[in-house]
Amino acid sequence: MNTLNEQQLNELQTDLDAIRDEVLADLGERDATHIRNMVRLHRKLEIGGRVLMPFGFIPPVFLAATASLGLAKILENMEIGHNVMHGQYDWMNDPSLNSQTYEWDTACSSESWRRTHNFEHHTYTNVIGKDRDYGYAVLRLSNDEPWRPRHTFQVLNYAALSVLFQWGVALHELEAEKLSNGKSHLKEKRAFLKLAAKKAGRQAFKDYIFFPALTLPVAPIVLAGNAGANLIRNLWSSTVIFCGHFTQDAETFTEEEAEGESKGHWYLRQLTGSSNFTGGKWLHIMSGHLSFQIEHHVFPDLPAHRYPEISEKVQTVCRKHGIHYNTGSFAKQYGTVLKRILRYSLPERITRRPAVA
Amino acid sequence: MLATITRSKAAHWLGRQLLNREDPKAFFDPLTTAINPMWVQQYTPARVERITEETADTKTFVLKPARRWGGFQAGQHLNVRIDINGVRHTRTFSLSSSPALWEDNGLITLTVKRLPGGLVTNWLHDELKSGDVIGLTEAFGDFLIPNGKKPVLFIAGGSGITPILSQLDTMAREQYPEPITLLYYVRTPSDVIGEQRLTTLKNRYPTFSLHIITTHENATPRYLSDQDLDSVPNLANREIFLCGPKGLMDLATEKLGQRGLKDEQLHSTFFAPPAPVRLSSSDTGGEVTFSASNLSVDSTGDTNLLEIAEAAGLSPQHGCRMGICHQCTCRKTSGTVVNRLTGQVSGAGSESVQLCISVPQGPVALAL
Repeated sequence: MNTLNEQQLNELQTDLDAIRDEVLADLGERDATHIRNMVRLHRKLEIGGRVLMPFGFIPPVFLAATASLGLAKILENMEIGHNVMHGQYDWMNDPSLNSQTYEWDTACSSESWRRTHNFEHHTYTNVIGKDRDYGYAVLRLSNDEPWRPRHTFQVLNYAALSVLFQWGVALHELEAEKLSNGKSHLKEKRAFLKLAAKKAGRQAFKDYIFFPALTLPVAPIVLAGNAGANLIRNLWSSTVIFCGHFTQDAETFTEEEAEGESKGHWYLRQLTGSSNFTGGKWLHIMSGHLSFQIEHHVFPDLPAHRYPEISEKVQTVCRKHGIHYNTGSFAKQYGTVLKRILRYSLPERITRRPAVA
Repeated sequence: MLATITRSKAAHWLGRQLLNREDPKAFFDPLTTAINPMWVQQYTPARVERITEETADTKTFVLKPARRWGGFQAGQHLNVRIDINGVRHTRTFSLSSSPALWEDNGLITLTVKRLPGGLVTNWLHDELKSGDVIGLTEAFGDFLIPNGKKPVLFIAGGSGITPILSQLDTMAREQYPEPITLLYYVRTPSDVIGEQRLTTLKNRYPTFSLHIITTHENATPRYLSDQDLDSVPNLANREIFLCGPKGLMDLATEKLGQRGLKDEQLHSTFFAPPAPVRLSSSDTGGEVTFSASNLSVDSTGDTNLLEIAEAAGLSPQHGCRMGICHQCTCRKTSGTVVNRLTGQVSGAGSESVQLCISVPQGPVALAL
């Protein structure tokens, strides 16, 4: 990890806090308009997809309906739900955009998400053993984790995780790996399981029972289209998230490094443990601005559509402190993610070469 | 009836399943309100029909709420919801029209005085135009006219006249059988709100006596005096309604108490942010733990929990910031708080508190 002394860390904190304060002082109509436009677009896409789907026996309509519903889910999960639940719009005092009450269109309940994502992942980012998002307990992505034979074909696990991403996220809090090695018991997870079953059941009921049944003569088409929309969302969100932390240069940390750290050190860890990818306005929106993962991790509760303009300032701060700002094209960043998954499927003695991680 | 309830429950259940929200109807708001803002479901909308000037700093807003709005009783108030620069604000105002206007014409009025430095009152005066749509809650409040068996004395100050205008209209309409007296305190004659309505009532109903008293026409202010009260016949038997600035309310309560009037005879309602009880800063303040946010901060003096939470970077839901609208109500899991309006000290256990008027007394934990 990049080493800065205590004074440099304090200076880093001051510099980043200044960027944050400037945005906070400027929050207003512009941000409210942005999120409301996103919500309106989501309603159009979702209603459009649902209405068109029964006419999916015409192939182009099927594609349009599935794409529309898939985009609706992506927009709702990434640009609206994820960001609203971070409290990015709590200052608006609008109950429908409140972080504590918002419920999103995916199998994972918002309550569970706020615990595992907002708290665990954003606090212990890339700390091996503490941040369970790092490899989702099924992938070995760093030599800090000991190699096991089961890691050899982890690329298949990765493919399965991507396809079923919403269900993986929904069961994340179950901590299945701790259940199997006896570190935790199913009994302790009863409350979580009840909550998870309720939310996941609701999602499955909607997409796989209610809407197909509503249009019975064409039920298989609606079922297939809804499954397709969920698949599009699963693949895209998992890809975006993997590009945020598992690229080649994204650093990992040990528990000792993060123990009792200062705010400045936390900032440094967020800067070096995250990675961005470049693209146009709509690529950023469709990734919930997680294409600015670095900015998101430094300022998780600032409205995400501000990240592009903050990015310039964050890069200036990084240059000043000699911190690597990890960005590149989507294809390049994703390529390094795949490489990382493949590389760490093998034990360290085989892959050893000048340090990367 | 039962079928309707069952049906609406089923619809609600289905809405929750399909749309992931407690108010499924509001799911369509972003689309419907783009066509017509009166179609909003998240709150009750009301269109501004016209705006009239009462005095130099007071305007009356004539509003047409959506038909689903539940109506009100004279003397009640409601919360108004508006967005200013992206932020939703809630403020409580008294209804100044009589319920008959709502029942007959579907209209209500709010009479609002500009507060110096007030964000919402100034916005209403400067930005709100006829044709605009604002949000309303249902009416609430227990400042209600008696059922006609007793003579009544109203004591109003400044814009505290607003709920009383509604009450006087209603009582006149219902031919209230007992004498009614109004002592109305204003700074100067040009500050009288609803002058025409009051004069009309006085001319039409001999049982209504009107006394407008100006307080700031001379170098020494002329506040509520014993002579004012002596001039009210049969004072001891009257039901008394107070609405005005705190100074007037306190003075009236004190003088009426000295004359042996019972607490049950006195009715008062809010009018402006009540001046906080002076809390001794030595025993207030303390560590506040926001358990859901995993955050702990220290506080000193009489800073309230809402301000403490905001200073700690949290954005709890809130409304009036003066203890009226209950938008900021939140679960306190442990610790003692002082109500800054009443000075009352809470128990130490788990209970709901209004953040904006609760000041910690020692360590406090909140489910926030």
